[in-house]
Amino acid sequence: MAVDFFNNSEVDVSLEVNGKSYEVDEEGYLADLNAWDADVANAMAEADGAPLEDNHWEVINFLREYYEEYQIAPAVRVLTKQIGKRLGKEKGNSKYLYELFPYGPAKQACKYAGLPKPTGCV
Amino acid sequence: MQISILSMSIAALFYIAFFILAYGLVSKILQYKNTPAPLKIPTMPAPTTQAGVVFRMSKEVVFFESLFKSSKATWLFGWLFHFGLFLDMLRHLRYFIDPVWTWVIIIQPFGKYGSILMFIGLVGLLTRRIIVDRVRYISSPSDHLMLVLLLSITSTGIAMSFYLGADVISVKSFFIGLMTFNIQNIPSDIVLISHLIMVAALMIIFPYSKLLHAPGLFFSPSRNQVDNAREKRHLSKWAEDLEKN
Amino acid sequence: MADNKFDTPEIREYPIIPKLQRDVMSHSKPFIAKESHQEPLGFPGELVDDWHDVAIKKMGDLQSKYRSLQVYLDSCVKCGACTDKCHYYVGTTDPKNMPVARQDLYRKVYRRYFTFAGKYFPKLVGATDLTKDVLDDWYSYFHQCSQCRRCSVYCPYGIDTAEISMAAREVMDTIGVGQKYCNEIISKVHKIGNNLGLPGPALEDTLEGLEEDVEEETGVQVKFPLDVKGADVLLITPSADFFAEPHVDGLIGYAKVFHEAGISWTISSHASEAANFGMFIGSYENMRKLAMRIREAAIELGVKRIVFGECGHAWRVAYSFLNTLAGPWDFLDQNYPIPQHICEVTHGLIEDNKLKFDKSLNDDMILTYHDSCNVARASRMGDKAGGQFVIPREVIKAVCNNFHDMSKDTIKEGTFCCGGGGGLLTDDLMELRVKGALPRMEALRKVVEDHGVTHMAAICAICKSQFAKVFPYYDFSMDQIVSVHQLVSNAIILTGQDDENDENDGENHPQQDIDEAA
Repeated sequence: MAVDFFNNSEVDVSLEVNGKSYEVDEEGYLADLNAWDADVANAMAEADGAPLEDNHWEVINFLREYYEEYQIAPAVRVLTKQIGKRLGKEKGNSKYLYELFPYGPAKQACKYAGLPKPTGCV
Repeated sequence: MQISILSMSIAALFYIAFFILAYGLVSKILQYKNTPAPLKIPTMPAPTTQAGVVFRMSKEVVFFESLFKSSKATWLFGWLFHFGLFLDMLRHLRYFIDPVWTWVIIIQPFGKYGSILMFIGLVGLLTRRIIVDRVRYISSPSDHLMLVLLLSITSTGIAMSFYLGADVISVKSFFIGLMTFNIQNIPSDIVLISHLIMVAALMIIFPYSKLLHAPGLFFSPSRNQVDNAREKRHLSKWAEDLEKN
Repeated sequence: MADNKFDTPEIREYPIIPKLQRDVMSHSKPFIAKESHQEPLGFPGELVDDWHDVAIKKMGDLQSKYRSLQVYLDSCVKCGACTDKCHYYVGTTDPKNMPVARQDLYRKVYRRYFTFAGKYFPKLVGATDLTKDVLDDWYSYFHQCSQCRRCSVYCPYGIDTAEISMAAREVMDTIGVGQKYCNEIISKVHKIGNNLGLPGPALEDTLEGLEEDVEEETGVQVKFPLDVKGADVLLITPSADFFAEPHVDGLIGYAKVFHEAGISWTISSHASEAANFGMFIGSYENMRKLAMRIREAAIELGVKRIVFGECGHAWRVAYSFLNTLAGPWDFLDQNYPIPQHICEVTHGLIEDNKLKFDKSLNDDMILTYHDSCNVARASRMGDKAGGQFVIPREVIKAVCNNFHDMSKDTIKEGTFCCGGGGGLLTDDLMELRVKGALPRMEALRKVVEDHGVTHMAAICAICKSQFAKVFPYYDFSMDQIVSVHQLVSNAIILTGQDDENDENDGENHPQQDIDEAA
């Protein structure tokens, strides 16, 4: 990947879904949380080769609700506990979340949910 | 006594070389001394006392402890060269003092064989620089030339000590003369003259080259700092000024 | 999603020094910081027009401010002792990842503009102008150094490539070429107080959740206090401890230790981050600004002690720099080290017999310990040199029956970086991270084969996240990395805890889920 700092610009790329265009950053995260809709989530998942099913949506919806309230994605433990409540105790663990989102619940699920990527030592 | 042009030239060369060496080295040492070390960065585990730092540094200077940890071959050749150089330099003291101190007389034979150690060490280092791909990659022409220069000085020295001989009495009176500003004639011996010219070249190069590793070691914060950051607040001048803003 | 178009290096039976392959990693470059990441740090938003002159001026400025930089630039004799010591060289075989070659990217410019030999005989001494190509190499290869200091152990002059990398990154930031990962994070700490951008209410919610979990598990009300004025201890821990696994299991361990020892403690929402990324980019000013948040929180909350959680580079900044950056700490209790590491606290309590453990609760694991680079080579614990190696191991041995060290040249002062330190723990550098982990993976593989080791413990948020991510590339599972205080948490018997005998099948065992996964 070429990084050209002689030509760096604030706007990255946009993603086209059903004729609608979404601004995303270098890693494909939506630039604007409010621009999110179900179409773009489905399109992102399909591009990764794993279409979204109901249980994915439980996670995505919870992420958006949590973000709405706290302005941050939930900690992994908060997420697993909540999923356990919603989908049954046997699914309330990170192993299950990694089954749903092999690239990591925090990062992959956040992307589909239109949340910014968690930063730091995580 | 008529002083030859050759002697005059060699004398002038040594005055210049000495001046450049002294000036260059002193200004570099002052620069190192005056540059602040704003943060505590000793490579840990580090000594917790100043005495401990002296001990750590002595092990580095005398035994090349860190190099021993990293590469036994480089350590062996590097240490042989430097130890041989040390012996040989002590041996050469006899050209600069009169009467010669007893201990300098006693070490003469060891000093003579020091040159052999230097030779072995230098050949080893040069070989390593050429055949090991990693070391070859990091070498500039100057790194090779430095070894060639040292090797040439050593070889001409060995040739004089062991095979050709030299008029050491005249060499001594030349250098004593240099030191007392009473220039004497130097024998026009081509091996001796090339030996001396190369030594002068080395003196000139010293403060402008990687030979600065010699004073540099003593100023290396990762080696000369005491591990006491929690106990004693370490604050450099410019960092202190920053706090006033 | 993640770009996996590279081969994971093979674990070698006998780790021999690899043959170099030129420029195989020159394509590795992290994302560039945008204006919004640069400006809060005081750096220009994009490459400035007169970048060449600004860069040279900054180099001169840094040489006059840092003795390390000046001495290290002059002293290298190119002996080659460091050439095989960097995990990134071993893993990538790119010669520019040899410590001396990495330094030379900077040194050749230094020589050209600041030395007699480089000004008049550039070819002879390998000096070059600062060109676009050189800047390109800087950006690539100074973001392939995790500032782990392994090279400095083996250098006869103690030359520390980390110092050169920090300087290079500062020069690049100054001309507007910053790294997104580090600078975005630093701007978040300036604004919110931690790397994640975790605001106070979210932190509160997360901590309340942990209280519930621990009570459910043990029947004991272990508190996770936030912003409690008058607490004795202010805990400064990496925000990953609130967020990620296995980090959070370590946080639970600290809480149980404080609870059992009867130490009143608090977390601060103002200084809810131990990590100080200002160090990674070599910026004293940014590092100081971040450190000052800790001072402000300590004063505001009126605490007597400061304790740091498990975080490697943070402990370097805490142990070695905090007194310099944000001291003097004369308002704290001088009977305790300032700051203190959580392992020192736990170790002290163990020595005083203040904690009770059932070591068998960790019998499902055979442990080894990864010395985090910045704890090992840039800090200390306890009052003796080398305490940073002894204390965490003694804590582990006090709570576990099965422990085996990895081979001697890969631990303690010779430890290998996890591959993700120094501001490189970002997805855009995944290839580098996987390859850089090779030496550690080989050492781990060896103890797995020889001693049946099942888990590796660490005391650094970066190490934990890095290993969780790269383990699968080397056929380990992501849950084989554990926090040291997770082991403490597993084994500690809290006063008034539900009867152990009913439940020591693992019910009260945070480890259980992930063991099943493994």
